[in-house]
Amino acid sequence: MLELDGLSAQVGGFRLDCVSLSVDEGECHAVLGPSGSGKSTLLHAVLGTLPVAAGRVRLAGEEITHLPLERRRLGYVPQQLGLFPHLSVRDNLLYSARARRVPEAEYRPLLDRLLEITGIVPLLSRRIVTLSGGERQRVALVRALAANPRVVLLDEPFTALHESLRRELWWLMRDLKRERGLTVLLVTHDLTEAHFLADHITVLIDGRVEQSGDRATVYRRPASVAAARFLGLKNLFPARLVGPGEVVCPALGGRLAVVDGTAVGGEVWLAIRPEQLALRLPDDPPRQDERRLAGRFEAALDLGEAALLHFRADTGVLLEVRCGSRVLRRYGIEAGDAGVVGLPAADLFTLPR
Amino acid sequence: MTVLALYASLIASLFWILDPAILRETLFSERTAFSVRLSILAASLATVLALLLALPAAYALSRHRFVGKEAAETVLEFPLIVSPAALGAIILIFFNNPLGAWIQEHSFYFVFGFAGIVLAQFLTVLGLAVRMLKAAFDEVSVELETVARTLGASPRYGFITVTLPLARNGLIAAFILSWAKALGEFGATFMVAGSMAMRTETLPIAIYMRLSSADLEGTVALILVLVTIGLAALFVARRLLGRVAHA
Repeated sequence: MLELDGLSAQVGGFRLDCVSLSVDEGECHAVLGPSGSGKSTLLHAVLGTLPVAAGRVRLAGEEITHLPLERRRLGYVPQQLGLFPHLSVRDNLLYSARARRVPEAEYRPLLDRLLEITGIVPLLSRRIVTLSGGERQRVALVRALAANPRVVLLDEPFTALHESLRRELWWLMRDLKRERGLTVLLVTHDLTEAHFLADHITVLIDGRVEQSGDRATVYRRPASVAAARFLGLKNLFPARLVGPGEVVCPALGGRLAVVDGTAVGGEVWLAIRPEQLALRLPDDPPRQDERRLAGRFEAALDLGEAALLHFRADTGVLLEVRCGSRVLRRYGIEAGDAGVVGLPAADLFTLPR
Repeated sequence: MTVLALYASLIASLFWILDPAILRETLFSERTAFSVRLSILAASLATVLALLLALPAAYALSRHRFVGKEAAETVLEFPLIVSPAALGAIILIFFNNPLGAWIQEHSFYFVFGFAGIVLAQFLTVLGLAVRMLKAAFDEVSVELETVARTLGASPRYGFITVTLPLARNGLIAAFILSWAKALGEFGATFMVAGSMAMRTETLPIAIYMRLSSADLEGTVALILVLVTIGLAALFVARRLLGRVAHA
């Protein structure tokens, strides 16, 4: 539906460099990246509010790179939502129909349905300044969707909300996406948000695409150290690829088997996600294709839904381990306790160094 | 507090030589009524013209980046830094060159005429109008205009329905202050239109003429008229802006 082909743009000293990605119809594609990575710049290049230095934007096969913004039929919800403060909620929602001179019979069914799904009918006569953060988000979403855009661009619209409200709106977005078959390009720095809403993820760092792929692959197998670090992977260790599926990593106790990875030879990084590390008891029977490291827990934090542990192996290396809170309680681990951690070969992967 | 005391002592000094009989006579004289009418009409016309011209310039300066933007901004504010007398002299010299003479022949006669008063006041307030309108547009987020366009609004529709209403406080303030400045303008008006009783006698020129003929009581009466009109305009502006802000 939406295709970006080698899109480049310049803002002051920052350059968005040759970004290509495609968003299929009915799909949510998240562009994930740290602050200053060029996410909003990318959206503005797609909208056409920023001059495109090179590349093309195509929508449903038609090139729209130089089409006036009002004719692109792109919905847009910016971070600050862009609600018109001098208009009531009703007038905000009818803005598009009035601007396009759409007859009521045409826009009414869609608007009524959106109002019903989002439950904002009681807000219609309210002024924008009187709305709460969550109410504003709903109004901004409904306003963008009521214009019946072909693709909706969301620029971190849920960032300013507290956790529970954010999750509520994520569910609402999922419902809207399912029912309306929405095609969404979402920009966010929030990994959880991207996982909650997106089918595909593109990791953007310093204006360049580090990785693009389906949600699970990007999460489980980052393609570069920069992407891995941004995706919260701290367990990265220098290693040497010595044969097919075999590496030598002194930090993890020498020779190990690995199942896959992007590195092709020589010096590599060996990586494992914190939740793939397994807590073991010293007398647990050994498992095939699992390296075990003995050591001591330096920190054990119960975060409510999950627990985070810092494990110093006897080899001197520090590993970050993530597990369920119940697992932590079952093992009764506290900071300073000795322990054993298992590294399944299936979850170890290599990255180019 | 010190500033208030300073202003109060200046105004109070007027009452030292105020003669109620002359005040009454001056206030209700045909000549004063002419000056008030002329001043209000010229200031209103000059302000409307200045705002109409300043609006697109200020919007362009607020929204667009272009080579030489700072230079353009400085040139557009040039009437703010040039003394009104110098500005008036420039206008006078302009109408003495072939182009100026041709314009006068084929449009209005500016020198020593009503059009000259309007032109002098218009050029005096133009810089202020550009600066104030630009500040007003700077206050309106560009993101709102972008959103309006994604909702199908043309740039013109977005400007009329989003930018202008949100900049209205600044627009009202720009109008009132420009009008007050035009009303009190003397130097440029005097250079271009001269001081002819019942012809180019705006309030500030009437004050000058009375003072020149050593009519101190009449001068004070006209100063009070001018100050009252100016203060009333500012008061109305404040009330209007307050109401808009709370609307």
